[in-house]
Amino acid sequence: MRIDRATIFCLRIPFVEAFRHSTSVRSFSDSIVVRVTAEDGAVGYGEGVARRYVTGETVESTVSHVANQLWPAVARADFSAISLSHDPLSALSSISAALPDHGPGDGPDRVIAWHGARAVIELALIDCLLRSEGLSLGQLLPAKRPSVTYSGVITAGSIQDAVKHARYFKLFGLKYLKIKIGTANPVQRVAAIRNAVGPEISLRVDANGAYDTVTAARVLSALREFGVGAAEQPIGRCHPNELAQLRVSSPIPIMADESLVTLADARALIHARACDHFNLRISKCGGIFRTLQMARLAASAGLRVQLGSHVGETAILAAAGRHVAAHLDQVEFVEGSYGTLLLAEDVSRESVVFGHGGVASLLRGPGLGIKVREEVLRNYAQNIISLQIARPALAERRKGKCLC
Amino acid sequence: MSIRSLVESEYAAQTEAFASSEIFKSLRSGNVPAKVYDEFIARLCRTHLNSPQILAFLYSLAPPRVAESLKHNMLEELGLDEAGIAHSELLLRLARAAGFDQRACAELKTQSQAELHRLCTDPILFGTFREFGLTVLLEVTCFEWTLARLGKAIGDLLAEHRGLSWEDLLWFTHHAEVDQRHAEEGLDAVVEYANYYEFDETDFRLITEIVFRENVLLKRYFAKSEVSRPTLMLSL
Repeated sequence: MRIDRATIFCLRIPFVEAFRHSTSVRSFSDSIVVRVTAEDGAVGYGEGVARRYVTGETVESTVSHVANQLWPAVARADFSAISLSHDPLSALSSISAALPDHGPGDGPDRVIAWHGARAVIELALIDCLLRSEGLSLGQLLPAKRPSVTYSGVITAGSIQDAVKHARYFKLFGLKYLKIKIGTANPVQRVAAIRNAVGPEISLRVDANGAYDTVTAARVLSALREFGVGAAEQPIGRCHPNELAQLRVSSPIPIMADESLVTLADARALIHARACDHFNLRISKCGGIFRTLQMARLAASAGLRVQLGSHVGETAILAAAGRHVAAHLDQVEFVEGSYGTLLLAEDVSRESVVFGHGGVASLLRGPGLGIKVREEVLRNYAQNIISLQIARPALAERRKGKCLC
Repeated sequence: MSIRSLVESEYAAQTEAFASSEIFKSLRSGNVPAKVYDEFIARLCRTHLNSPQILAFLYSLAPPRVAESLKHNMLEELGLDEAGIAHSELLLRLARAAGFDQRACAELKTQSQAELHRLCTDPILFGTFREFGLTVLLEVTCFEWTLARLGKAIGDLLAEHRGLSWEDLLWFTHHAEVDQRHAEEGLDAVVEYANYYEFDETDFRLITEIVFRENVLLKRYFAKSEVSRPTLMLSL
């Protein structure tokens, strides 16, 4: 099975509300979606998210990487030997291996890893190959639980807005809330939300690296009395030993997020005993296969896992996340699937938004389990780029000789 | 602020934002091609062809004091009242007058049905029908409130710029008349619903804000997403 063509959609879907955290304000989704078409006509969709402050990628550099580095490799590859039904993990490994790894870039805009780019292509290939065989991702990654329970995330606006959002989520029956905190009154913010939602709801905080080590230690100590279950990335991406030092003094378990992009990061964090939780995000981690590898490392080191998401992910990454969250042996918190709670319109025919209590059922359809609405992609695309194999090269390839 | 005035101020804000939107003003100006009017007519039909089913749902949840008026509203939509005019027929007459052939009208019905299907299959964020019913009631009565005020103006602009006759536009003139009454009854129904189901003020306000965080009129009639109140998004 070979892939004949691909199309990149650079989306700009407005949010119905802005989402703010300590390092960024976002009012639209800028996800990158790729549609691949196989020689048998099967179509698959993937999605990746470029975040300069996480992987170092931008939308422009990610699109360029997909078009110039990953697409030629995909166009050359023959996926016929991959048997999705016989050995799922080996199949996922083979798909991931077909994508070349490029080291970090140089200069001030250094890219830590081209993981958003890898994720968009990997998901599209998985979706396409599964659809070609009439299989669901759930058959490759069997579910360990009958449903997935999502958390709400409270944006870092005013305390008044944050409390209002907390009340929305309480009304929706959510049992887990993550609060974005920064340098402005973090303790008052958490106190006000705890007061609004009561003692039953699990709270955790995410600072997106807003503090230095001394401030972080002080804030986490002050948050202790509010029953905070975990503190995500209190300090910026740094040497794991710095995070480990903070962890020793913190009364709240530490979760690594921006510090955890690559497998090497995961091993270094474990080695330094730098955290209690890994926050895995499919796009940040470079796709499903690498996310599963990191989850396995976490489990072997006794760390707990959150399957997180990037703000503005559409139904494509949400669907992939649903499958992975259902499949993992242990997952403490799950984020994402906000769909039209955040986006003016989502890309799938069926809603991926969770229901009351944050509970969402499993997806059982072919591929990732959703039907992507091409008209929505076109409606919100800022840029559409077609990638094809040059005709002579395609002819040669079909004769068995690859010139791509 | 009482529930009635809170809700009415939300309806007024929604209506004002709709009436002053660029897309609506462009329809009024006549400076857009016929296909823009036709797209509006299609979306209007898709929105309102399901009204009897939606009203039946609301009737099933209705507090006893307002059940009769909701039932009458539903029967009116079905053409089973004393006037005997099925509103779905008025919508399809409008569509046919705008040039929608039999196949296109069938497609409108299919799309409308698909919307109902989606409503029934999408996960519900609220724990009970009590909250979900309030969201539906608020949206339905907002449309009635708006149509009571803008129905005639919309009919007039379609007559002037799309060349539709008075008979073709009966749905608007009819709504402009009966929705005066429905709008008042709708407000009564919301107040009674809030009291009957014992909503506290905080939850009622939260649900109202959730329903009207976007402009429901622009969303349904023009597929435009526009937040309805100043938010972080608009202050960027």
